[in-house]
Amino acid sequence: MESSSWSSEILSVLRKEFVSEMRQKSGLLTAGLFAVVSVVAVAFASFGNKLTAGFASGLIWVTVLFTAVVAIPRVFLLEEEQGTGDMLRLSARPHAVFWGKGLFAFAQLLAGAAVTSLLFFILTSVALYGVGIYVLGLAGGCAALAGAVTLCGALVAQAANRAVLAGAIALPLLLPLIALGVAGMRTALEPDGAQGGVEAVLGLWSYAAAVWAIGPHLFAAVWKR
Amino acid sequence: MNIGKIVVGLAVVGTTIWGFLAPPAQGFMHEDLARILFWHLPYAFITVIFLFAGAWQSIKVLRSAGQPTVDFRAEAANELAMLFALITMVTGILFSKAQWNAWWSWDPRQTSFLFVLLILFAYFALRAGISDRVKRAVNSAAYCIAALLPILFLIFVLPRLPQVQSLHPSNTIAGGGLKGDYWYVVLANFVLFTFIAHWLYTMRVKVSHLEWDRENRDARMDDGGHGAATGVVRPLSLSDEN
Repeated sequence: MESSSWSSEILSVLRKEFVSEMRQKSGLLTAGLFAVVSVVAVAFASFGNKLTAGFASGLIWVTVLFTAVVAIPRVFLLEEEQGTGDMLRLSARPHAVFWGKGLFAFAQLLAGAAVTSLLFFILTSVALYGVGIYVLGLAGGCAALAGAVTLCGALVAQAANRAVLAGAIALPLLLPLIALGVAGMRTALEPDGAQGGVEAVLGLWSYAAAVWAIGPHLFAAVWKR
Repeated sequence: MNIGKIVVGLAVVGTTIWGFLAPPAQGFMHEDLARILFWHLPYAFITVIFLFAGAWQSIKVLRSAGQPTVDFRAEAANELAMLFALITMVTGILFSKAQWNAWWSWDPRQTSFLFVLLILFAYFALRAGISDRVKRAVNSAAYCIAALLPILFLIFVLPRLPQVQSLHPSNTIAGGGLKGDYWYVVLANFVLFTFIAHWLYTMRVKVSHLEWDRENRDARMDDGGHGAATGVVRPLSLSDEN
C-alpha cells in the first residue's frame, strides 16, 4: 500500500464527504430545511414579542443543537447503510477518518449556523451588539458540536435504531456546551455587553479543543471493530 | 445471614438514630428537615466516586479490547453511579420543596446532577442498542470516557462559576461550616454507604459473571455439541416443499 501523509488522508476523506454530499444533496437539504423551519417556528411562537437577550440566545442555541443532532450522525450512518464502511476502513487510518468527517461536519454546521442566525435576526428583530463575541462563540460551539456528534455517530453506526439513538446519546454530552454558548451569546445581544462573554467563548473553544483531542483516539478504538 | 451483614445493618440503624439525635440545624426554614443532609451529601460523593470508577474501568475496557470481565466492572460502576445519583436527586428534590418552596429551582447543582443522570441514561441506551458483546463493551466505554469531560465540567466547574448563583450552601461545607454531630454523622454515613455501595458493586459484577456463564452454557446446549464441527450437512429437497 502506498504510504500517504496525514494531511492528504484527511483531505481525501473531506473531499469524499463533499463530493458524495453534493451528489445526493439529501442530507444538506434535510439539515437546511430543518434549520430554517426551526427558526421560523421559534420566531412565529414569539408572536412578534420582544425577546430578551437570554431567551433569544437560548432559542438560537437550541436550534443549532437540534440541527447538528439531526444532520451530523448521517456521516457515519450512511457508510453503514450503503455498505461503504469497510472500504473506508481499508482506505484511511481511523484518526484521518475522524478528522475528515469531523471537518466536513464543522463546515456544514457553520453554514447552517450562519443561515439560522441571519434568519433569526431578520424574523425576530433582535439586535446584535457584540459581533465578535457572537461569531467566535458560535464558531467555537459548532467546532465542539461537530466533534462530539461525529463521535456519537460513529458509536451508534452499527446499533439498532441508530438514527434516533445518535441524537439521544449526543444531546446529554452537549448540554454543558449550551450553558456556555448561551452565556456567551447573551452578552453579545445586550447593549451594555454584560460580563463573562470572553470567558464563555474561551470555554467553548477549550471544550472544542478537548473534544477534538480525545475524539480521534476514542474513535480509533471503535472504528476498526 | 452472616455476621458482616448484621454489623452493617446495625451500623445503618445506629447512624440513623445518631442523625435524629443531633440538634436541629440553624439557618434553615425547617431545621429538623435539614437532617436529610446526612444522606443527601454522602450519596452525592459516592455518585462521583462511581462515575470516576466507571470511567477508569472504561479505559481498561478499551485497553483490553472489550474483554467482557472488565466490561462487567464498568457497567456495574455506572449502574451504581446512576442508582446513587437518583437517590441524591430524590433527596435533593424533597429538601428543595421544604427549604426553597419549589420541587425544582434550576439550581446549578440540581441542574448539573440532572445532566449527569441524562448522560448515564444515554450510556445505558447505547448499551441496549448494540447486541454484539465486544462492540457494546468498546463503544459504551468510549462514550463513558467522552462523557467524562462534560461530567467534570458539570460537577466541578459550572456550580463554581462566579456568574452562577447557587442555592446550595457549598461554601458552608467547603469552609468547614459542618461541625460537631453534623460533620460526624455525614462522615459516618459516607464511610458506611461507601462500604455498602462497594458490596453492591461486587455483587453486581458476580451476577454479570453468572449471567455470562449461563449464556455460554445455553449457547453450547443449543448447539447440542453437534455444530459445524461435525461437518454433517443434511440435504433438503426443495421440490418437497411444494
